[in-house]
Amino acid sequence: MTDNMPQFFQELFHLETSDCLTFLFYFIGAFILVNIASVIGGLATYAERKISADMQLRIGPNRVGPYGLLQFLADGAKMLMKENIMPLMADRFLFNIAPMLCLVGIFATLAVLPISGNLTLAHLDVGVFYVVAISSLVGLGIFLGGYASNSKWSLLGGMRGASQIISYEIPVVISILSIVLLSGGTSFKTIVHHQGGLPHEWFVLHNPFTFIAFIVYFIGSLAEANRAPFDLPEAESELVSGYHTEYTGMKFAFFALAEYVEVFVLCGVGATLFLGGFNVPFGLDTFLSKTPFPLLAEVVQLGAFFTKTFALYYLVIVIRWTLPRLRVDQLMSLCWKYLTPIALFNLIGTAIWMVYFHDQSIVEIIKAAGSHAGGGH
Amino acid sequence: MLVVAIEKERTFEKVAIVSFLTILFILSALLMLVSCLALLLTKNIMHACTFLLAALLGVAGLYLTLHADTLAVTQVLVYVGGVVILMLFAVVLTGGQDQESITKEKFPHLAPLFGSKSTFLKAFLVSMIFFVAAASLLRLGEKEIVHVVAVNYAPTIQSLGQLLMTDYLFAFELVSVLLLGALIGAALIARPMKK
Repeated sequence: MTDNMPQFFQELFHLETSDCLTFLFYFIGAFILVNIASVIGGLATYAERKISADMQLRIGPNRVGPYGLLQFLADGAKMLMKENIMPLMADRFLFNIAPMLCLVGIFATLAVLPISGNLTLAHLDVGVFYVVAISSLVGLGIFLGGYASNSKWSLLGGMRGASQIISYEIPVVISILSIVLLSGGTSFKTIVHHQGGLPHEWFVLHNPFTFIAFIVYFIGSLAEANRAPFDLPEAESELVSGYHTEYTGMKFAFFALAEYVEVFVLCGVGATLFLGGFNVPFGLDTFLSKTPFPLLAEVVQLGAFFTKTFALYYLVIVIRWTLPRLRVDQLMSLCWKYLTPIALFNLIGTAIWMVYFHDQSIVEIIKAAGSHAGGGH
Repeated sequence: MLVVAIEKERTFEKVAIVSFLTILFILSALLMLVSCLALLLTKNIMHACTFLLAALLGVAGLYLTLHADTLAVTQVLVYVGGVVILMLFAVVLTGGQDQESITKEKFPHLAPLFGSKSTFLKAFLVSMIFFVAAASLLRLGEKEIVHVVAVNYAPTIQSLGQLLMTDYLFAFELVSVLLLGALIGAALIARPMKK
């Protein structure tokens, strides 16, 4: 049984496993994943502009490529050719590493993102924990970027960003914990295998507490990615553009790309934890893996994962263009007075549900009750 | 039969992992040492915090080479995600760096915290003695340690959780009470004053 992407390809092409080759395979796998994630981030900017244009009765980008699809490449080329401006009194060292910290923190999470059964780079046993830990580099990058720019807007934006990310980590982690409790493991593999392909087998519909946990996770992840209605760190109407006010060219592009890829990663983690991950309905993937084309099973699983992730991504974009921005005090009271207590009670509620109903989901209980009422038939 | 298979697997794993582990160890150790040196030599406190972050990441890498995956991730979560950001916050909120209070001398004479030549000499002697003692102690248990590392290539989070909930429950609960006390204290301090 193969486990991760390098092993899977080695077995598929009947290659000898040597240390050097394994290293090379991991490198190639990481390279592919990072590039795919970057393209997704680029296309997400296009999607964002198109969807917002739709909602505001505009047309949106439609000049570069078919339907304006290549707009993000044009933007990237423009960013590359821009002059690299740094404020006179800026902290050179921190100013340069801040965008990289953001990007590194996000790309590092891709290593455990379970896009399909065999195409995941690494199945860490502490996968969920790892994502939470390593993505905190983003908050650090935002704060350092804001500080190093030597601009009041940037500093305010950076401090808002860091405090927001630290605060919202707590309800997010606690709602993730209720899922860890249910599946009995912090590995994404365990969590996915505890769910099924059909919606009633997903953790989001397992019991009322996980449903609430999903909503708390979603709100918290919006805040962690600095997305509207929580885009206070870059509030255009107050702070020009927040922590990346002074950044130009590719350094600004790093921040922007990190934000869009982070939304993708958070949506992917949400889809994995609550919406069944790469599980395909009716066991189609296990059927396909026994046919002569085992790659097809991976393709189907990829389809399942990306469908759920992009559906969540669509929701994130729609929310951005629908809701007004919160104030700072509203943001903090939402986190500490509402989401954190709700998440804590959810965790206890999930534990009580597991003890009281012996780990059964609500649909299983109804089924069992129905068959009991029908005399066990 | 089974034992033979397991032995075979182990030796294979050892061969396959050894060079990769060595590379990882060297990289993390270098990261830690270089950033610790930079942390000591820089005069900018924000830069020092950033180098501290790199050093802590290097420590996490060292944990990983010892197969302590949970410990490594916890290290990143607690220090990178929490402590370093809070330190940066504290520095910025208390006025950042004060250029005038930073000494220009490389070895100030009677600075109480920095020390003089004689304290350096004493510290060097004491650290040498400690180093020799630690090295000889480690050499005693060397065989055992290598053995453990080679065998226990297993995820640690499950056994850690079980131990925390059984053998070390008292310590675990004590720590949680301590943290609760810290939380309540913080809330008490942050609370608006009653008139």
